[in-house]
Amino acid sequence: MKVIMKSVEMICVSNQDGKISPIKYKYVDKSEQIHIVKIDKILERNEEKLAGNRMYVYKVMSVINEAERVYEMKYELATCKWYIYKM
Amino acid sequence: MKKYIFHIDANSAYLSWQAVYDLQHGKKVDLREIPSAIGGDKTKRRGIILAKSIQAKKMGVKTGQPLFKALLACPNLKIVPPDYQLYSRCSDAMVTVIQSFSDKVERFSVDECFMELPCEDPFEVAYRLKEKIRGTLGFTVNVGISTNKLLAKMASELEKPDKVHSIFENEIKEKMWPLKVEELFMVGRATWHKLHRYGITTIGALATYDIDLLDRMMKSHGRLIWRYANGIDISAVKTDSRQIKGIGNSTTTPFDVDDLKYASLFILSLTEMVALRLRANHLMCQVIHVSYQRSSEGGMGKQRKMVNSTDSTTAIYQVAMELFEEIWDKSPIRHFGVRVTSLNMADVYQKSIFDEINLEKKRKLNQNIDLLRLKYGSDSIKRASFISSGVNSISGGVYEDYPMMTSLL
Repeated sequence: MKVIMKSVEMICVSNQDGKISPIKYKYVDKSEQIHIVKIDKILERNEEKLAGNRMYVYKVMSVINEAERVYEMKYELATCKWYIYKM
Repeated sequence: MKKYIFHIDANSAYLSWQAVYDLQHGKKVDLREIPSAIGGDKTKRRGIILAKSIQAKKMGVKTGQPLFKALLACPNLKIVPPDYQLYSRCSDAMVTVIQSFSDKVERFSVDECFMELPCEDPFEVAYRLKEKIRGTLGFTVNVGISTNKLLAKMASELEKPDKVHSIFENEIKEKMWPLKVEELFMVGRATWHKLHRYGITTIGALATYDIDLLDRMMKSHGRLIWRYANGIDISAVKTDSRQIKGIGNSTTTPFDVDDLKYASLFILSLTEMVALRLRANHLMCQVIHVSYQRSSEGGMGKQRKMVNSTDSTTAIYQVAMELFEEIWDKSPIRHFGVRVTSLNMADVYQKSIFDEINLEKKRKLNQNIDLLRLKYGSDSIKRASFISSGVNSISGGVYEDYPMMTSLL
């Protein structure tokens, strides 16, 4: 997997306990084409506190270019931003 | 169980915090592995090196050096501007981890903490703490172990980075005495010069020197450093150390200042910031200190204790200007500093017959100006003297809630 760390527009859901789960996001590729990617499954969720900066790290599965891919996304609590982390 | 004191010190704090943050955000380069430094803005010719990587240190970059000198020593130095919000977050996170080990934790500065903990095996605790900080927060620390704060601090400085060291009383001679005397806590440049004149170059030489002679040379400071050289320190770990000891701001001017009019504007704009911070913390000050750096080598500073405490911008400014006029030799200046110390709470005030007239009214005015600035920005209201002067009406950056550096154990 390669580190990408690109911010994306995300629709997510946060349940009564404050647990946040990503649903689907908009991704703009190099040729400015817009892709809507659905998160099919959340395989793992972790929290990291590197440099005191809290982030939720999700290992997720989506269908990208007609292939099932497992990759990682991050949610930064301080800025409320979503990132594609590693793919 | 025996009580031990631990000193935890983040290794090149600002730089490694920035590096970890950058890596977390997907940067490919680890600042800790290339010649790099945290420093100010070089286009405005202001700024000094605040922290450097080990590679940069090897090339001769020093902390506190002006940026251009650092670039001469190391032309491919990568300079990153500081982000104090990040550092304060890192510092808080570090303290939280340390507090999970013991509830007796003193935050000594932005990147240093003391911890007191009764335990069987202090080394096991120290390694566990060090690994926990590295694992969860991503940066390395040095841990010093001893039975008092001074020795713990000296121990954590022994060898860097990412190490655990101890200096117990029976190890002082072997581990601390061979060190150079300037490595001792509280021995700065001025003290170093005095000690060198008397042939004292190592901590061991200081420790075995006649204490009465030191007392005659340097008064109580001589006794203090003699005690430190012998590893004697009885200060306690203060859990409530967020009290502020002094508030100061300084700025490098965009041009060399050689007339009193501009000098007074810079001092006024710094005073505005210092007084604002003073009032925001509900404090008053009694001692005012002014300093300047010449554009050539050297600088001067002077302080004065007033009869009464104050938090008024005008009152501080007046004393600051008196002091400045006393010390300025008309040489061009590139850097100004204003600092207030001897702080006390603002809710009690001793009246004096030498008070300003309408003091209460003026305090209210200051409070309202602060509120306006807080709500609409620092430029929303300014003194007329700043209009089209090219000087910011309020200057000096970093807002800090706790001391960045302290000199009191």
